[in-house]
Amino acid sequence: MKLFLLWMAVHASQYVVFLYFLVVNTTYTLLIFLALRDIVRHAYLTTSRVARRQLASEHYFKPVTVIVPAHNEAAVITQSVQALLNLHYPEYEVIVVNDGSTDGTLARLKEDFKLVSSIKPVRLQVPHEDIQAVYRSADYANLIVIDKLNGGKADAINAGINVSSYPIFCSIDADSLLEPDALLKSSKLFLEDDELIATGGIIRILNGCTVKDGAVTEIGLPRTTLEAMQVLEYTRAFLSGRTGWNALKSLLIISGAFGVFRKDIVVAVNGYRKTVGEDMDLVMRLHRHCRDNKIPYKILFVPDPVCWTQAPYSLGMLLKQRNRWHRGMIDALLVNRSMILNPKYGATSLIGISYFIFVEFLGPLIELFGYVSIPILYYFDMLNTQFLVMLVLLAVFWGISINIGAVFLDIYNFRRYKKTSDILRLCVMSAVEFFGYRQLMLLERLLATLTFRRKDWGTQDRQVFENKPTTP
Amino acid sequence: MLEFLTQSPHFYDYVTLGVLFLGVFNVGEILFLLYNKAKVERSELKRGNLKRLAATALITATDPAELLPPPVAEDEFAAYSEAIASVLDSFEGEVAVKAAKLLTDLGIDGHYRRLARHRTWYKRGNAIDILSSFRLRANREFFLAVFRSEPSTDVKYRILYGLSRLTRDHAEIRELAELLSTLPYLTAKYTEDIFFNIISALKANGREEEFGLFLKEALDDKKVLNLVKRDCLTACHAASCEKGRSVLKKYYEAHEEEPEIQIAAVRALAKMGDFVLIPPALRHADWRVRLTALKYADLCCTDLLPEIRCLLRDNSYHVRLAAAMTMARAGGAARAALTEEAASQDKFAAAAAAYALTQGAA
Repeated sequence: MKLFLLWMAVHASQYVVFLYFLVVNTTYTLLIFLALRDIVRHAYLTTSRVARRQLASEHYFKPVTVIVPAHNEAAVITQSVQALLNLHYPEYEVIVVNDGSTDGTLARLKEDFKLVSSIKPVRLQVPHEDIQAVYRSADYANLIVIDKLNGGKADAINAGINVSSYPIFCSIDADSLLEPDALLKSSKLFLEDDELIATGGIIRILNGCTVKDGAVTEIGLPRTTLEAMQVLEYTRAFLSGRTGWNALKSLLIISGAFGVFRKDIVVAVNGYRKTVGEDMDLVMRLHRHCRDNKIPYKILFVPDPVCWTQAPYSLGMLLKQRNRWHRGMIDALLVNRSMILNPKYGATSLIGISYFIFVEFLGPLIELFGYVSIPILYYFDMLNTQFLVMLVLLAVFWGISINIGAVFLDIYNFRRYKKTSDILRLCVMSAVEFFGYRQLMLLERLLATLTFRRKDWGTQDRQVFENKPTTP
Repeated sequence: MLEFLTQSPHFYDYVTLGVLFLGVFNVGEILFLLYNKAKVERSELKRGNLKRLAATALITATDPAELLPPPVAEDEFAAYSEAIASVLDSFEGEVAVKAAKLLTDLGIDGHYRRLARHRTWYKRGNAIDILSSFRLRANREFFLAVFRSEPSTDVKYRILYGLSRLTRDHAEIRELAELLSTLPYLTAKYTEDIFFNIISALKANGREEEFGLFLKEALDDKKVLNLVKRDCLTACHAASCEKGRSVLKKYYEAHEEEPEIQIAAVRALAKMGDFVLIPPALRHADWRVRLTALKYADLCCTDLLPEIRCLLRDNSYHVRLAAAMTMARAGGAARAALTEEAASQDKFAAAAAAYALTQGAA
């Protein structure tokens, strides 16, 4: 009997795996087409003269607060803040939140920016750990530093929100660099559309690029395959993934590394929640809040404003990061489970969240099941080798098409990587991904699924930005 | 395994075909990428050269059309139009006349007029944007005709933007305001931008008083949305429209129930150095109006100190903080009063005062 049940299960699993393969690849392909349409339209309209003139106009802007949560970022904090102080924007303030660092981050800031104590009364609009001190720079009037007890990234951003003075805030990671006009490009959208509540730009990988005075001066692919693979992943995730979800009005993530939000609406949902996937969680709660209260709203991804970030350069760091992302996603889905397959939340629920459940959450389990079933089917002499070979070939070639499609979107529209060798290398990576890298990530995501209750962030090593290429 | 598929006689043929197709597609995509890269680099070089050539010809030659090769490809039209728009922005007189004539001589104006009727909305929008950048008075009638037949509101907003840069008198402003009211209200900044353009165009023609006339007419006009009135006043502030000054106070008085209009009126007048609305605004019931008035209070009336000091105990956090900052900026007696308040029993007032004093020190 047991054997029969196992036989039945294995038999049924073939259909599940095959269906999953078809659904996932079709979704990715559709997303690429949607993204292509969206990006071409966006490129047409933003390069027009009026748009450029509006971008340059000093009359048309909303003041913005840039919040930088920093926990043990002594290695990069000075360059990062310096880069933020050089942004092209008429009126903004930079709030660095030292989240209980133990590596001298605060001392570095005090020394490099001549911080003096400030006693600004703080309005407690969203919860966070105690603020120990607020400092202001004697050199830069728009730089504020908050020193608070450690509470995590979400907690630190909440503290920044309470201290901020402006109606829009931008959260950015301390190890990231914004392009000088990124803030202008993203906050301009809030002028053009009163319904916009959140937007995010594209995150690109800094590894392999040359940085001078806090700005990326030369763009290149990183030397190691591991880092170059992440360039491909980011390109696919942002240009085909998020742009496609944008077109379907189902965007569920604004990256924590660079997101711009309307403060009043974030305050209305009680700010960020302490979790490892605070970015996805916030966006889901924003969707929920607006739908529940019948507030007309838009959450958009725009491929134009660029934020450069350091990617993990060792396998250990990368696995840790992916584990955290996956745990964050599961947690956000669990907390916002009332949105799952709930027509009240429209396309966001029926398309966006369904995708995350069936592809991102269940995907690793189904994929593993597919791998495991091969020896079992072989044992029961049920393995059709010819079919297996054809299926693997089809999966790999289709996957490569999707990857090259994402590279195509990037190179055709944005032309960041200009060297022919870089373009060809990205195309090669599109194939290499399927032989080892993908399986490793799969295992880590499975591990994350099993340990999703863990709340720790783990530590990431940072490198100094200046005079890169960044690979050690 | 999946018998119903594999037992089909041509199943493996189809799958093999699919794999081969994907393989060829992938190679094709890579080749296209490389080809496109080379093409774009060539095009950029050509565009740069054409732009330089056009700019030089416009400034140095009597008849630039004779020197310049007529545009054929889209990137050539784009290069010329960018160069000419930039010359029109920077020069007046003979050079500007030559630039406008060149648009007709090379058929650039006609090309974008044709594109403004393209079947894809964003291409029409882009063409309208480019035509707007030329600021040719002759395009006014064309814009109005396109507006009437245009199905996309996105493009219509762009047409109105173009029209706003060509306005000459208050009758045209009214016409534009009426067209604006046929569309859903977009954003405050868009409407403000429209009126900012109008004021700038009128100023350039020495007819700023026409905007004052329009403001007077719009004051009691129920057809003009209050939101649009507010944005008009904000544009007055941004463009420093002196001719609207006399009517701004009336807007403040006539819109007791519309704090946003009152805020715009206070700001616009204060920017022109007229602080007549500050005292009533400091006593206003809406905290946003009080806050706006506080931003200018230190510049005008020293006798307002007691009222500003009272605002240190206001219900609003923003007003308390702004009142303290105003007193700190005012200096003298106000600063001395602020020092007293820093030791006050009122925790909120003391915190705001202490902060404002340290701000001055920093």
